[in-house]
Amino acid sequence: MASVTGTSISMASFKASLAPSSRVSTLRSVSLPINGKSFTPLRLRPARFRVSCSAKPETVHKVCEIVKKQLALPDDSAVSGESKFAALGADSLDTVEIVMGLEEEFGISVEEESAQSIATVQDAADLIEKLVEKKGSA
Amino acid sequence: MSWLWLRCRVNFTMNIRCCQRNFCAASSPLVPVPLPSPMETHLWYLVPNEVKSDTLLNQYLELLSPCERENVFRMSGDQLRKRALLARALVRTTISRYQTNCQIHPRSLKFRKNIFGKPEVDWQDVDDRHLPPLHFNISHSSSLIACGVTMNSPIGIDVEEKQRKLKNNILAFARRYFSPYEVELLTAISDPEFQRQELIKLWTLKEAYVKALGRGFSAAPFKTFTIRFRTAMEGGIHVSGHRDSEAFDTVIDSFDDPKNLANNWQFALLDLAGSHYAAICTEKDRTAGGKGTLPMKLTVWRTIPFVEDECVSGTDAVVAIAGLT
Repeated sequence: MASVTGTSISMASFKASLAPSSRVSTLRSVSLPINGKSFTPLRLRPARFRVSCSAKPETVHKVCEIVKKQLALPDDSAVSGESKFAALGADSLDTVEIVMGLEEEFGISVEEESAQSIATVQDAADLIEKLVEKKGSA
Repeated sequence: MSWLWLRCRVNFTMNIRCCQRNFCAASSPLVPVPLPSPMETHLWYLVPNEVKSDTLLNQYLELLSPCERENVFRMSGDQLRKRALLARALVRTTISRYQTNCQIHPRSLKFRKNIFGKPEVDWQDVDDRHLPPLHFNISHSSSLIACGVTMNSPIGIDVEEKQRKLKNNILAFARRYFSPYEVELLTAISDPEFQRQELIKLWTLKEAYVKALGRGFSAAPFKTFTIRFRTAMEGGIHVSGHRDSEAFDTVIDSFDDPKNLANNWQFALLDLAGSHYAAICTEKDRTAGGKGTLPMKLTVWRTIPFVEDECVSGTDAVVAIAGLT
């Protein structure tokens, strides 16, 4: 997707420009050398295995859908667990609308303190599962 | 927008010393502005659509710290990157206009966050130690970026597009986030469009208050306080009807606030640039006697830093809704 590869390319060449021997002409290539390691754009990287209390992929997916809807992003936009709300352009009103959407979708209630600490889609998904679990065991 | 790829090759060895020479590279130097008095508020705003020049965007990019630049490039897509860049450029150029003896280069300003994460200027690195501390706060929508500035008073601002539509049902949203009083007020409005407008206005006021407090969203959850209008003349409370900005005073009722500290704050609500609601919250001037609040003394500029500044107070670009003279 344009936005993801765009970000990763500019980040990569941004860092690459600090090194004296960087070759910025490699902007268009898929694999960019950074510190001797090959840097693969996010969408081609295999899914990282996340340890411990991590939300189910279905939950992450639902959160992505709600976020895309709120921010009016096209269906094929690159929103994943790692996506930061701020980087997607969500302002405070978007964020509280997203929280409200998540509460309705999952039947939970999110407190302001918890909502404030959500920075990524994954954070939201993890919080949702924690609240759903707590609700289930109550 | 090819400029973004070109600027990845930014030269980090640029001279960052406070130096008049750097200003000459810009289209024109920033017009200096006298410091706001303790009872004054200044508001500077920028319309992203008015900034089209790649050269200008590159100039702005050079003002940012490496960390700010990284944050800009982390945004998804050109429009968001441009907005992030313009926001930082607006803050830096605005603050650097307020100078006493030494001319501060926008690039030399340092910022830090308070313990709750509210951004503030770190004055330690500025040469002129006599420079009084300015407070600032920024807000942006997708089509406007604003920066409010005060002296000796915390400030919070929020701007929202007048046309902004909620994805959720208006009353459901209000019930979730606003106080019972505010929900009642909104429920009483029968026209859906007027109801939506009032919700957006109320939102900006509440956001501005929380941002002025600077303790994070959770320190003053929106449900725990009410912002309402009170007629200064009659001392009573009017819920709706025509608002004359001279006669109305915004009041906060805070449920968790036994010492009534919430009434240390004052608000201004305005129609900005014909397209936005803007709310500004600052501390009341405590030297003013009595229970009344003096209207906020506000000066507003529309700016394209290094290109043009236009004082728009008293024009159609600034229409008072409440709290202003």
